[in-house]
Amino acid sequence: MDLSIKMLITAVAVPVFGAFLIPFAARISTAARNAFAVLLGLFTFLAAASLAGTVLGGQTAGFTLTFPRGFDLILHADLLSVFMASVSAFVSAIILIYSIDYISHYENQTEYYAMVVLFLGSMMGLVFSANLLWMYVFWEMTGFASWRLVGFFRSDKDVAKANKTILVTVFGALCMLIGIIMVYFDHGTLDLRALHGAGISYAAAAFILAGILSKSATLPFSTWLPDAGVAPSTVTSLLHAAVLVKIGVYAYARIFGVTFAAPDAFSNTVLYLAGASALVSAGAALIDTDIKRIIAYSTVSQIAFIFLGLASGNKTAFAGAILYILMHSVAKGGLFLCAGIIEQNTHTKDINKMGGLFSSMPVTGAAFALCSLSVMGIPPFGGFFSKFLVFSGAAQNGNLAVLLMFLAGAVMTLLYLVRLFYKIFLGEAAGHGNPKEGSVTMVASVMALALIGLALGALIYYPSAYADLLTNTLGVNLQ
Amino acid sequence: MNLILIPIVLPIAAALALLLICEKTKYIKELLAAGAAIVSLLAAANIFLQPPADLTLRWFGSAAFTLHADNLSAFLLLAVSLFSAAISVYSFSNPAKGPAKWFFFNLLMTQGFAAGAALADNMVAMLFFWEGLLVFLYTFIALSQNNHAARRTAMKAFLINGVTDLCLLVGITITAYIAGTASMSEIARNKLTLEYGWAVFAYVLLMIGAVSKAGAFPFHTWIPDAATDSSATFMAYVPAAIDKLLGIYFLARASVYLFALNQTMSLVLMTLGAVTILVAVMMAFVQKDYKRLLSYHAVSQTGYMILGIGTLNPIGIAGGLFHMINHATYKSCLFMTSGAVERQAGTTDLSKLGGLFRAMPVTGLCFVIAAAAISGIAPLNGFFSKELVYKGALDTGYTVFFIAAEIGSFLTLASFLKLGHSVYFGDRPENLKETKEAPFSMLLPMLTLAGICLAFGFGAELPLNWLIVPSLAGMSIPNPTMSGFHLDKLYFVSVIVILAAVINHLIGLAAGGGKADKASDHIHYAPVLKETYALAERRAFDIYELGMDKAVPFVSRLLFKADRFFDWAIDALPSGVAGFLGGSVNRFHNGSYPLYMALTLIGAVVYILLAGGLK
Repeated sequence: MDLSIKMLITAVAVPVFGAFLIPFAARISTAARNAFAVLLGLFTFLAAASLAGTVLGGQTAGFTLTFPRGFDLILHADLLSVFMASVSAFVSAIILIYSIDYISHYENQTEYYAMVVLFLGSMMGLVFSANLLWMYVFWEMTGFASWRLVGFFRSDKDVAKANKTILVTVFGALCMLIGIIMVYFDHGTLDLRALHGAGISYAAAAFILAGILSKSATLPFSTWLPDAGVAPSTVTSLLHAAVLVKIGVYAYARIFGVTFAAPDAFSNTVLYLAGASALVSAGAALIDTDIKRIIAYSTVSQIAFIFLGLASGNKTAFAGAILYILMHSVAKGGLFLCAGIIEQNTHTKDINKMGGLFSSMPVTGAAFALCSLSVMGIPPFGGFFSKFLVFSGAAQNGNLAVLLMFLAGAVMTLLYLVRLFYKIFLGEAAGHGNPKEGSVTMVASVMALALIGLALGALIYYPSAYADLLTNTLGVNLQ
Repeated sequence: MNLILIPIVLPIAAALALLLICEKTKYIKELLAAGAAIVSLLAAANIFLQPPADLTLRWFGSAAFTLHADNLSAFLLLAVSLFSAAISVYSFSNPAKGPAKWFFFNLLMTQGFAAGAALADNMVAMLFFWEGLLVFLYTFIALSQNNHAARRTAMKAFLINGVTDLCLLVGITITAYIAGTASMSEIARNKLTLEYGWAVFAYVLLMIGAVSKAGAFPFHTWIPDAATDSSATFMAYVPAAIDKLLGIYFLARASVYLFALNQTMSLVLMTLGAVTILVAVMMAFVQKDYKRLLSYHAVSQTGYMILGIGTLNPIGIAGGLFHMINHATYKSCLFMTSGAVERQAGTTDLSKLGGLFRAMPVTGLCFVIAAAAISGIAPLNGFFSKELVYKGALDTGYTVFFIAAEIGSFLTLASFLKLGHSVYFGDRPENLKETKEAPFSMLLPMLTLAGICLAFGFGAELPLNWLIVPSLAGMSIPNPTMSGFHLDKLYFVSVIVILAAVINHLIGLAAGGGKADKASDHIHYAPVLKETYALAERRAFDIYELGMDKAVPFVSRLLFKADRFFDWAIDALPSGVAGFLGGSVNRFHNGSYPLYMALTLIGAVVYILLAGGLK
């Protein structure tokens, strides 16, 4: 068996099965459990990243476990899946490191680590699956893990929000299942490699889209995401910023970007939905006063920009969307982790009760500012390039209404992030004690994400070349 | 390494090196900053004299990173480097600039990014540097004073420029798509026309980006606020010099290099210019603070440049570009004098100053030269560039713009008579008896800039032939015939304007009881104007305040309602429906065996009917 195939199996199997070993590691000691969880995260990242060499060399790696009736478990590493897996696993690893301090004084830690790693494993399975049915299976596994994680604190309110999360996403997933079954009856197979370039009926596409929108928290299924902000910040960071919401985006790219040729009218509908989503959630981000809800609304709004790129139907926009996934994961993950430090040290999530925190938390403040700048798309941060490419693609697409919607969305992004930063770190101090800076590991994690955002901008040539290669090799029906 | 990279890379590298230096050390930071700025200036001079080959690096997507020093870019680079060097020397012993490390960091970063924006041939690369300046604009203002006002103004500057930079971004994407390339020199070979809607939209977006950077109406409102809430050094550097240079540079590029504009757009630009001149100068005239008064003039003067470029004729464009460099010179110098007065006398409030000429003769002399230049008094540099703009405006046939520009000149001179009189002449207040001249490091850059005002005035042919005409030629604009232009009848108009301003000042003095700082009160408190001024002071015409107070909350509340509606639709509505259906169905589960049998039968019948119907 080829090394790359071994790595592919490792990337999926290690976290999925490792997650079930975490309770046993916890029997040994807390430190052993924590170290084991972090190692699982790092190992998964390395395994996923090691595949980059193979796919960049123009090859793919595949592994098939045969099941009857064409429901084979097919793991397939190509440019898109390796990209997605590396980004997700990298942010997950950082979050696991940050968790060691963050989570240390709460209950149910073992379950927490097991669920985070299980989530990571299902994510790996999801992105590497080249069979729609298995994609669905892993999809539901991520939903299960996120349900347990959002309900990490066990109060009635938390549990209700966790239930909302799973009900909305499972509703979407079941719609998607119908769509997948329709595809099966139309084409007789669910192997995405065999379906490359095939057509898809409107009904099937619409059902699958419902699943995507609900997972990626896009209008009309967006509001579970801000509600899920009751979870610990690490979870919001993992689920809502970096990884979970990208599942829908990934599925869109995988199904409508590189497999089926999406009908034009369908893409246009997605564009309008995304535009409305960008505006509505940006407006909500300007009104809300809960730091994590604001960042979650911001995520909804930014996800819409990724959909803009994916659905614009040209190479520039598609490559921009791929870069957007990367830049947004890093920057938004950093913002949520900053919010975690702030929340833990000020004991509030209400931004009106903060103010003037920059003097007591300078490093967190700086990291927050740097990540915000990347989300706003200000050069020299990485976010500038992805935003520019997405807008370029939208201009090529030639839909003025959509372009104006997103211009307004980008303007509002500036407004709510500047407002947020000002309210938390500058402004008049509002009745908090003198909160301390976060612990060294926590502050180092957020600063690392902030600086990576900067480095991605400075070295944009490499990620951009990757995105271009991906688009040119795999893209279907792109101008 | 290609020489063209030095003005960009060196300042940025020096800025990063600064961060490693301990805050407590003395002079190392200053020397490093001044050294980097001066070496960059030398490199820029070299690039100007001997344009190096283009530099193209591979970048992202289809965008190439191309630096190209054509005449206009090299001219602009030289100007950017000159002001950076002047400011870094000026800041040597000026304490009113915030923490030295961050001040010089911002200064050098701004210099590097501005140099990049000047040299970039690819619009995407230009945007990268241009928009990158935003970060340093924010930190520059926010760190210049340790108070909330500075941070609020920094936020205002950041947001106004951030929004218009986004417009520029979208404009550039559309322009690049229409033209099929983002390279400005390639687009210029086959200029775009405003024949269809997308092109007009693209140009308008580019124009918004450019005039907003230059600080024109209505995007100017952060500049007067920054005058009070930041340092004189910042004002002398960014709003007076760098922002103007870049904004007008790109306005010229967009208006005559990339696009071939039509008559309508020319009128739009000229109107924007005239309105900017008048609105800002009216505000400037009644100001009671040295820096704030200057800041409104920094806005007003932009109007002349926009008006000049908007004429679209060679004379007017030459005037606009010449005015750009002249304005940067004297306005930077004027802000430097305000910083010197602030350092030595401790205030910039006009009512507390007076008679400083004897105490600070060099500063006073520089002020007089620069003030005469901005007022367009012959034979200083401002006179010549304004004459060109007047001539260009007259040549379009729309005399109204010429008249607006002349009224602007009248009020400019009037307000500098008031300013100069109240700071440098008249009686010196008791507490300023001990005031001394500013240190040499502050005087040297002031003297240099004042010297340039004189040199570009007495030898106006030199900059015109060396800087402006080649720049125009680089944009393939025919050489305007400018020889002897200052001897035509416009000369007499300018004499009349000067006389009118002097008479106005004397009337104001008489009405204000001989107090120079009250010399504008006869206009300030005139009927109608009084109420308008009161509204303006309360920021009733400030689009930023209006937007943030009214429009943004309104729109976001509306959108938030939409968000709550969708939340209701996926949460409360399905829960309610499920509850209702569950409750209804529940009533049939009453344990009655006959009911269950009946329901089963009905179900079976319905199934058979449906199944049969389907076949």
